[in-house]
Amino acid sequence: MTSNDQLLQSEAADREAQQILRARDFWGALVLLSLSVFFLWRTSFIPLWGENRAGVKGGDWYNSAALVPLGLFSAMLVLSLVLLRVAVREGGAKRALSSVGIGWNRAEAMRFTTLAVILFFYIAGLVPRVDFILCSGLLITALIYGYHGGHAARMVLAAAVVGLAGLYAMALNLPRAEWAQHDDDWLVLALWIALTAWVVWHERGRRLARVIPVIAIIAPTLLVCAMAFGFRQNVPNRGGLIFKQIEYHYYVTLKPIWSGK
Amino acid sequence: MDFVLSQLTGFGSAFAALVIDPLTYVYLVTSVFLGITFGALPGLTATLAVTILTGFFGNKIPLDYSMIALLGAYVGAIYGGSYPSILLNIPGTAASAATAMDGHPLAKAGRGGEALGLTTTASFIGTLIGTVALLIFVWVLLLISKNIASPEKALLALFGILLSGTLMSEDLVIKGWIAGLIGLAMAMAMVGMDPLLSEPRYTFGWSYMLSGFQVVPVLMGAFAVPQIIEGMRHVEVGKMIALQGRILPNFAAVRRHMPTITRSGVIGTGVGALPGVGEDVAGWVSYGVGKTVSKDGKNFGKGSLEGLLSSETANNACIGGALIPLLVLGIPGSPPAAALMGAFKINNVIPGPTIDPAIILRVVAIMVLASFTMWILGLFTARVFIKILRIPQTVFLPVVMVLTAIGSFSVGGGINDLYLMLGVGFVAYFMNLLKYPIAPLVIGVILGGLFDETFRRALFLSDGSLGVFVSRPGAAVLLALNVALVAAQIPMIRRPFQRRDRKDA
Repeated sequence: MTSNDQLLQSEAADREAQQILRARDFWGALVLLSLSVFFLWRTSFIPLWGENRAGVKGGDWYNSAALVPLGLFSAMLVLSLVLLRVAVREGGAKRALSSVGIGWNRAEAMRFTTLAVILFFYIAGLVPRVDFILCSGLLITALIYGYHGGHAARMVLAAAVVGLAGLYAMALNLPRAEWAQHDDDWLVLALWIALTAWVVWHERGRRLARVIPVIAIIAPTLLVCAMAFGFRQNVPNRGGLIFKQIEYHYYVTLKPIWSGK
Repeated sequence: MDFVLSQLTGFGSAFAALVIDPLTYVYLVTSVFLGITFGALPGLTATLAVTILTGFFGNKIPLDYSMIALLGAYVGAIYGGSYPSILLNIPGTAASAATAMDGHPLAKAGRGGEALGLTTTASFIGTLIGTVALLIFVWVLLLISKNIASPEKALLALFGILLSGTLMSEDLVIKGWIAGLIGLAMAMAMVGMDPLLSEPRYTFGWSYMLSGFQVVPVLMGAFAVPQIIEGMRHVEVGKMIALQGRILPNFAAVRRHMPTITRSGVIGTGVGALPGVGEDVAGWVSYGVGKTVSKDGKNFGKGSLEGLLSSETANNACIGGALIPLLVLGIPGSPPAAALMGAFKINNVIPGPTIDPAIILRVVAIMVLASFTMWILGLFTARVFIKILRIPQTVFLPVVMVLTAIGSFSVGGGINDLYLMLGVGFVAYFMNLLKYPIAPLVIGVILGGLFDETFRRALFLSDGSLGVFVSRPGAAVLLALNVALVAAQIPMIRRPFQRRDRKDA
């Protein structure tokens, strides 16, 4: 292939990428448009013209709390209309309804969805309810095993394991009053051990099998101890299965030794 | 003369106080090392380094040590980006994108050691140039800023958001502006109790929202989560070019390139001082200028040392420049400076005309020490960082996720901050996907509160007269700049200029 052909090919690829971007911009502009209208409507709840409240005159329009948001969301509305116009003029609307048009990539969609599931259940389900070392160890094991190498089946397995743990924690211990329960800690520990065993078995002889358990144990333990005892800060779920023991032995067993008490 | 002497005396005592404290070295070496590591690992950025360290050091240790940790990481990360640029042809940070143009061809030609050594020295000198400018201009501007009132502040904040949106967009400029507006909408002043009348806004009946969005979780969400989602894919680590030649630079070569280093340092500082414009723009602007004025301009992109030094000096000099508007006006000059502003805020330090002058002198002293530490670490431990380059993204990014979660939680101390971080993270990921720049969003988040408060205060003091934005000379100039910036993007206005340019060509 001559360099001229290569140049032509790369130009065609750039044009295609640009058209995909405009099709996505079409949807992006519609979302922005809807959000602007919604927030303009919500802004109407904030007094603009200095209403009387309980007989006391409120501020004037120029110091109303609605003034800047009104300008901001109006500007957003105008800009999203401009973006919509650009997208339509450059052919984005025509391509917007086809999967090829918006550049749908099944493998990429799968990668994003599994990652979104893992991150959602880690943050919303596990961190508030499960010992931080346990849930972070599970997260690290799942993410490294699932995404190192780019195998779709591993991604699904990683998302399923973290999803199952998160779903269990959210379903059984949803209200804040039940966050201190330990049943979900035990489940996460069991899943973490099972996943680690799976990784070690399937990756035996490879460096990954040795590296994952070490990182998954050391990184969260170091971080949570540094934060709690080094910086004396609050850490998520202090009463968690493992951290409770660490904290107890830090204050009851270790600290008296170096304090000379 | 008296002014210069008093400045030097103040700087000397701040510097001596830091030098005699042994803890200074612990924080300096740790943070600069972490910074270089963050910069060297493709997928992690300088802003992320400063943001994550804010979660750890932000308000948990005395302010002086906190500043050492954050500035050390900032200086280290901007420099660290040069490693993968030179050895892998992958910029570690956006600021080092121009570095790859000449750094990689030099490494391929067996001059990698020379390129790294000169880059390290140029980054060191660049940081010092920016720091000297910070020491001098911050005081001049502080004197001027005494006359800056609410109208000027509001227009300056708006200018920062618009300029950042205009210069940081890689697709349409309006996407940069939209990102800035989204940042403004997320800003603390838009959500929660309004600062003048205590009117609740967009709280949706959720008590957590009454205090507004916390800066650090928003920054972590905007920078860490999209990087993690984007980076968790299998990428074959590029073929790393073996480092050849000694890293310790030849000082005759440094002397020979001093004019380029000085010019690039001045350009980097100037670009950094513009509100909201970061190190990547500084690198490219300096590279472009270098290509035009340098005798070696025709070799730029083919392995020119002048090209390499143009971008690398400028991106480090930009740091000092970016701190000038931050300290004088409370308007960050770059995205990492915006993260630094978040750290100042959680320490109850309000940058601006009322800032304690001792803090500025300490910042200058820390910058000098941080650049020196970076130079020493860069020259003598470069091979350690080269080894770090071999760690795959899929291995270090999960640890970054855990770091982000615990850092975000500890700053606010609440689980709601983690939900906020994740929500902002997903929004930022889709914005990245649609080629919306994230820097204006962060600048918007940081400046939103300032804009809302000062804009309304200006109107309040003038009884609702919009004339307050044109009757004051400073405000009139800033308004004209804002209008020009927007007008320059309107096709109807652009067309005659484009036609004239074509005719001239």
